[in-house]
Amino acid sequence: MGDTTARLKRWFPVFVIAAAFVWACAVIVLHRTAEAPEGTIVIRVGHWQLETSVREAFDTLARDYQKLHPNVRIVQDAIPETTYGQWVTTNLMGGTAPDLMEIGIGVTEPLWISYQRRYFHPLTQYTARPNPYNRGTPLENTPLRQTFADGMRSAYIEALQEYMKINLSQFGVRIFYNKGLLKKLTGLDEAPRDYHGFLAACEEIKKHTNAEGKHFVPIACSGYHFWMWEMMMADQVTYPALARADFNRDGYVGNDENWVAFKSGRLSFDFPAYRARFRMIRQISDEFQVGYTGLTRDDAVLLFAQQKAVFMPTGTWDSRSLQEQAKGSFEVGLMEFPRPTDQDPEYGEFIKGPLYEVPWVGFPFGIVRTSKHPDVALDFLLFLASQPNNEKFNRIIGWIPSVVGCTMDPLLEAFKPKLEGVYGAMNFGLGGETWVRWSQDYSLFQVNQIDYDELAKRFGPFYIEKGLKDFMEVNRDWRRTIRTDEEFLAGIRAKALLATGDEAASLWIKYRSLTAMRQVLPEVTHARLMALVTKGPDPKAVGPYEHSPEVLDRVRARLKGGRVPKR
Amino acid sequence: MPVRVSLAILMAGGLAAGAVADAPSATTASQPAAAPNAPGGQMTPSFLNGRAWEDFRAGEFGAATRGFTEAVAAAPPGTSDHLQALYGLGMTWNLRGLGPDPVLAAKCFTEVVTRSPTGDVAAWSQLALARIRHAVPVGTEPDYAAVRKAYQEVVTKFPFHPAGEEAFVYLQSTWVATLDPKDAGQALGALEGFIKDHPGSKFLSAAWALVAECAATLGRPDDRLKAKIASLEGKELDPTNPYSDNAALYWEIATIAEFEAGDFAVARKYYKGLVDDYPQDQRRWGARLALERLDSVEARLRKGGK
Repeated sequence: MGDTTARLKRWFPVFVIAAAFVWACAVIVLHRTAEAPEGTIVIRVGHWQLETSVREAFDTLARDYQKLHPNVRIVQDAIPETTYGQWVTTNLMGGTAPDLMEIGIGVTEPLWISYQRRYFHPLTQYTARPNPYNRGTPLENTPLRQTFADGMRSAYIEALQEYMKINLSQFGVRIFYNKGLLKKLTGLDEAPRDYHGFLAACEEIKKHTNAEGKHFVPIACSGYHFWMWEMMMADQVTYPALARADFNRDGYVGNDENWVAFKSGRLSFDFPAYRARFRMIRQISDEFQVGYTGLTRDDAVLLFAQQKAVFMPTGTWDSRSLQEQAKGSFEVGLMEFPRPTDQDPEYGEFIKGPLYEVPWVGFPFGIVRTSKHPDVALDFLLFLASQPNNEKFNRIIGWIPSVVGCTMDPLLEAFKPKLEGVYGAMNFGLGGETWVRWSQDYSLFQVNQIDYDELAKRFGPFYIEKGLKDFMEVNRDWRRTIRTDEEFLAGIRAKALLATGDEAASLWIKYRSLTAMRQVLPEVTHARLMALVTKGPDPKAVGPYEHSPEVLDRVRARLKGGRVPKR
Repeated sequence: MPVRVSLAILMAGGLAAGAVADAPSATTASQPAAAPNAPGGQMTPSFLNGRAWEDFRAGEFGAATRGFTEAVAAAPPGTSDHLQALYGLGMTWNLRGLGPDPVLAAKCFTEVVTRSPTGDVAAWSQLALARIRHAVPVGTEPDYAAVRKAYQEVVTKFPFHPAGEEAFVYLQSTWVATLDPKDAGQALGALEGFIKDHPGSKFLSAAWALVAECAATLGRPDDRLKAKIASLEGKELDPTNPYSDNAALYWEIATIAEFEAGDFAVARKYYKGLVDDYPQDQRRWGARLALERLDSVEARLRKGGK
């Protein structure tokens, strides 16, 4: 008896563990069987969008797809953003990744590129053919590539020279506001569209207190939201710096050119357009809640949802959830950023046009090489990317469709990017010590611990003194790119050598254009860049976008139809 | 509609077959169902070469080395497959991410050149021998005298082969990159000779681009402008690459014409081209502003202004 009890005691834990293991296995098997009865194909979709509407959209479209393909089941793996990187890495390396995987967060961009190269199917060969699910629509005969608003530019990985993913949505940033609260605090029915009118409304809002006796916050902001004000409002006034610092005249001010311009005195923190940019930042950030830089995206959303703040900038990704949170409490309005016009008394001289908004297409999915059914995964992806289904999919989520010709929520129409205008021309991102120092000093400016002159005094001399070292450090490895491209080109060359007909011709064009662009000419452009950085611009030369007297003489001669002096 | 049927409509040779063939042997679970093997399932050298290149492209250099080595062993010496395998093996040894071995690579390339001195693979191998010297690992500087000698050897042996023409533009780029007017003058002469003697070359655009750089070094804006336009006219655009366009070159030509050559007619043509042809390009608004500026400068000069 005693022996039996002792034996039972000894084996009981083992028995419990074994039972738990068997139970777990049974549950998994039953779950998988229910998910995928025998004879069905299961396509798993991994993504980080935990919003209810995204999962609902996938489920709805999966049901639609299953009506056409009864032997297919679509199963979602919705993974939190915070663990997405680890999840992706583990599953890709372990060969257990879902068939379709959302690409973009959790690991660095270069790592994502190497993952795509190694673990994902290139999709280039399908981009020139129509999407079969567009049959019966105006896009019936249109190549897949041209059915997307951005022509699939954002799906193309330059480093791999392949289309690797299909983007399912577009995004944009605008300002949301609480219509009722604005009316109550300022008497305005609509938010002011002009810059100074907007600031005046903010000042008025600040004067009022809520039921708790606390002052209303004009603009809900956070560390996460700050870049929206920079990109959509303040950076545009720096455009005139292009005329001073775009030494290679490619249309942009590079980090190297910015430093050379400071070093040579062609630009400084006294440059009026730069001063204007920081003045605008100060004016706007004075309307944020105190300590905004330390707050997160959710903190700002909460402030807005609790009706303690009137305005908040955000993207389409938040629009549906913001509307849901406001439902029954207040009406959400949507407005453009109140950018100053060229008639503005304070900023007008720096406004050279409307703002160029970078088209922002995202929500990208790629097909994983370990998929047992890559053909079906592609088919489902094309189903989602067809005009009618993309419209339906995004309507459920509350986002902007990525496919052309789709209709959308009228609220979202306002988010469509404007593709013509000016852009920022200020770039302190040299890397190394100067970047760390810039981040520190700029942070102090953002929280108003130092003013612009102090920022200039602290950072300016440091930037000029240390910038060359940082630049050289970053560019020390420039030949690494040449080696990487050499390897890449060897792959294309081999493919071209083994191909025939049109495919071979197309591959040779790719090979030659990349050889010229990435291997032959960089030798010279690198030499010119080093000469500019180490020697500076010719002190006697005019600015890159200025006419020298000699040039004007030639123009004058041409106008008169006379002999043009040879140069 | 069953999925397989829809896919048949969708694409002939799509992922169902093509992607499987694309899949690297070391990483994929989807193995080829009907690979181009010899009867009986034996892997042919041609198949081994193709698969090794797939491994190479996927960055699986260990598998690529094994594949090419197997192909070298399997192919009768001196055959096309054998030379291809040696060439692939050389590329893998030279360019593998970790532990490249340029000496072993050079041996492979040299063997190709020795076995088939005038063949196609020999031309590319000869170029590869020059590239080993030029595209050196990080932390080392190329020995330019040796680099130029190696390129010249390719040019001399294969003057009208694409590998020889590519070697020529690389060779001249090493001279142009010194930014020394003397070297630029010498390179300019060679480039002009190449352009004259190779009217059908696919490297004409690159050659003209280098001519433009020579003209910049020599301070000749008119010649620079002319060469840039010639480079544009000969430029091949990759239709599969959405970033392959002429927008940047339009902007460059327009600004050279406006600010260096003082040729507002040419400037106007290319600014307008940017506005008309590239509606999504970020510089489009700048081109509009430039067109207004050209008009106002001309109006001012016509009135006798400075």
